[in-house]
Amino acid sequence: MTFKKSNEAFWWSLFSAGGVLSAMFLPAFVVISGYVLPNQSSADPGRAPYEHIHGIVSWWPVRVLLFGVIAFTFFHVAHRIRHVVNDLGWRHHTAPLSLVCYGGAFAGAGTAAWLLLTLPSVAQ
Amino acid sequence: MPDTTITLDVFRFQPDGGGHARRSTDGPTFKAYRVPYHEHWVVLDALNWIKDELDGTLSYRWSCRMGVCGSCGMMVNGVPKLTCAAFLKDYYPGTIRVEPLTYFAVERDLIVDMDGFLGKLKSVKPWLIRENEKPVDEGEYLQSPNELASFKQYSMCINCLLCYAACPVVGAEEDFIGPAALAIAQRYNLDSRDQGAAERADALSADEGAWGCTFVGECSEVCPKNVDPAGAIQRVKVDNVKDWYRKLLMPWGHR
Repeated sequence: MTFKKSNEAFWWSLFSAGGVLSAMFLPAFVVISGYVLPNQSSADPGRAPYEHIHGIVSWWPVRVLLFGVIAFTFFHVAHRIRHVVNDLGWRHHTAPLSLVCYGGAFAGAGTAAWLLLTLPSVAQ
Repeated sequence: MPDTTITLDVFRFQPDGGGHARRSTDGPTFKAYRVPYHEHWVVLDALNWIKDELDGTLSYRWSCRMGVCGSCGMMVNGVPKLTCAAFLKDYYPGTIRVEPLTYFAVERDLIVDMDGFLGKLKSVKPWLIRENEKPVDEGEYLQSPNELASFKQYSMCINCLLCYAACPVVGAEEDFIGPAALAIAQRYNLDSRDQGAAERADALSADEGAWGCTFVGECSEVCPKNVDPAGAIQRVKVDNVKDWYRKLLMPWGHR
């Protein structure tokens, strides 16, 4: 048997990183931004939830972390969608499919980078 | 015949007409057989009863009838099963539909053509490869219990092909090496006595190898020996990613 060389390893590594990062961080993000901070802030009326979260997010290490989680998660989703569509029967001449999936992930990651870079810091 | 019976709807295909010249052009059909129902009978017992008592032309593979030989895999009500482990009582009083393993060419009745699989299995070199074989008088290759444990699960495969009949990629991509052969390849790659990972890499890292897998996971669901081929394939992928980045970052290094 002869075998075709594959570059799937690269795309799968992004998929894999996205799976690990989203599984590790997204539940915590949901709990923190959706429950802990709003409730904490209502106990502390001097600090509105939005400003509190804004303060945390504008800290540079958090911007980097958020970018990593968001960007890799986009590639995770793109790769999964591509393979689901493959499984549904689109298995040949798939270049347009890959372009839409990974192109979408690049666009999403770029948008996240732009938003996180241009987010103004909160004056302390 | 006992009071209670159960009906088996059995896939029949005899390209030579089963000895009846006038039937030689018949395509595949289903034939219903009423067999005695016993709680302790499995589908294979029922097939044997059909062959002994009703229709000696029924053809199927079986041997050990205890889940070791891997010969009697068939589709039972659409699910790949070892028929020696599929109890009638789990289907009673319904009809049981018995078909050959799906995605394989049928040779006769419930017998499928395994040649494609055997070629794929051979392509991953499923044997211990040594750079230098040491002389017999230097003794065996010793292995610790931990080293054995690292691959033992994957060595339990009995080549029953249930995982191939469960895998939609096998159905869609004729050249996909498939769950069992990939798991067996990983079994040798993980064996401390083996030095053949580089020789298996071309097959494992191809689109027809581990990268054909879309992680549906049905192979591990149907495996009667808990080999977990899906897990093995994920490990092949991780190893392959490490190799890919190593080659990218250190192109001068061999392998």
